[in-house]
Amino acid sequence: MDLHSEMILAEYEAQLPVYKRLEGIVQRTLEDALARNGLLVTAVGTRIKTLDSLAGKLALKGGKYQSLTDITDILGARIITFYTDDVDRIAAMAEQLFEIDWLNSVDKRKLHQIDSFGYNSLHYICRLPKSIVDDPECPVLNTIRFELQLRTTLQHAWASINHDIGYKTGVEIPRDYIRRINRLAGILEMADDEFSRIRTEITDYRRRVQALVQKGKLDDVQLDGDTFNSFLQARPFDNLNKRIASINQAEIQEVPLTHYLKVFIALDCKTLGDVQRLIKRYEEDAYRLARHQLGATDLDIISSAVGVQNICIVCVLSTGGGKLGLKRLFEHINGHNSENEAIAELTFELAKNLQYGTDKD
Amino acid sequence: MKTEITHNGNQIIASFEGRLDTAAAVQTAEDVKPLLEAANKEIILECEKMEYISSSGLRIFLSIRKEAAAHGSKVIVRHINNDIRQVFMMTGFISLFVIE
Repeated sequence: MDLHSEMILAEYEAQLPVYKRLEGIVQRTLEDALARNGLLVTAVGTRIKTLDSLAGKLALKGGKYQSLTDITDILGARIITFYTDDVDRIAAMAEQLFEIDWLNSVDKRKLHQIDSFGYNSLHYICRLPKSIVDDPECPVLNTIRFELQLRTTLQHAWASINHDIGYKTGVEIPRDYIRRINRLAGILEMADDEFSRIRTEITDYRRRVQALVQKGKLDDVQLDGDTFNSFLQARPFDNLNKRIASINQAEIQEVPLTHYLKVFIALDCKTLGDVQRLIKRYEEDAYRLARHQLGATDLDIISSAVGVQNICIVCVLSTGGGKLGLKRLFEHINGHNSENEAIAELTFELAKNLQYGTDKD
Repeated sequence: MKTEITHNGNQIIASFEGRLDTAAAVQTAEDVKPLLEAANKEIILECEKMEYISSSGLRIFLSIRKEAAAHGSKVIVRHINNDIRQVFMMTGFISLFVIE
């Protein structure tokens, strides 16, 4: 190793505490900004180049660098996203956060010819502005450059495997293998685009469903996990729960209701319209059941599941489901559990004196 | 009302004896504090000798469950009698707990 490279390595060792401080600030800044912008990613990571790695780099192209600060990837940060469009959104976020050294930043996604595929990643060379850190005793925190890499999970997988295959063996790889690796980059690019399209279409679908729910066109909405969640956002059991709560002036504790999707499907509901009709048909009986049970107690706390639970119970009983039907109902609600039989037995006993099935249509 | 806290590996067990009514709730809330502090463990509420639970008792169970859920842990309610089962059922909390 020449003297110049040895000087850079000595500078590296002297500056390492500063780089470590910079690393912590960059990591926190990125995590906070992602959270603030509601951006979910696979990973956010930082690393400081090791002495050995730096020595290897200097051995290859040491003459290119005048000093340590010319090397822009001593500190590297990397954000791995789920979707390709998130790479651009996070790039925009980084442009707001950091000072970007545009001359040395590179969008490797745009370097490919139209008929070639390979490494896809966006590399920004950045500095921390004084709005993030301003320490008169350590002004280099604002001048040291670091590299921020942005890529998708699939791009990261390809890059990691390509690196592993290409560098681990230390021998030149035959052209045919390189072609096959690059061909995979093309396939993954297609997969990335397709994932992004699917996300966009699902978002559109959810918006359409919410619009239909808001307009009350429930017969046009198939019952599934997404649509049921939209339906629950309209709080369809609130009125019934409030009526039940008024029996004992009880407080209502919010609990999740999403598991009732399985119950409504088992009760043969195909659309949200079917669910709405079932609620309308049985909510009076559900209230009567609650009054019958709670009226003789001083229980002043109920869960927000009590309304829908009672609707389902009276639906089962009024359609002749009996104890077995109730047991099946509780298996949908609670999963397989030895308690379900006892709960069904008890519910049947508590409810048997009421008359159900009085058609409200 | 008696409450006894025991540990069994990654489980913390609260065994109740008597009536968990409004009068007993203040002391029981104090007695179950070790559960809230160890909510990262699986919490067992052993109710074999519990005779009755009131709204105040339910609130204690709910606070334990809330703390456990915040730590990604679960609460198992064991050996409830028919009266207590009826309270969980009528109030709609039956599906909120794992009941064995």
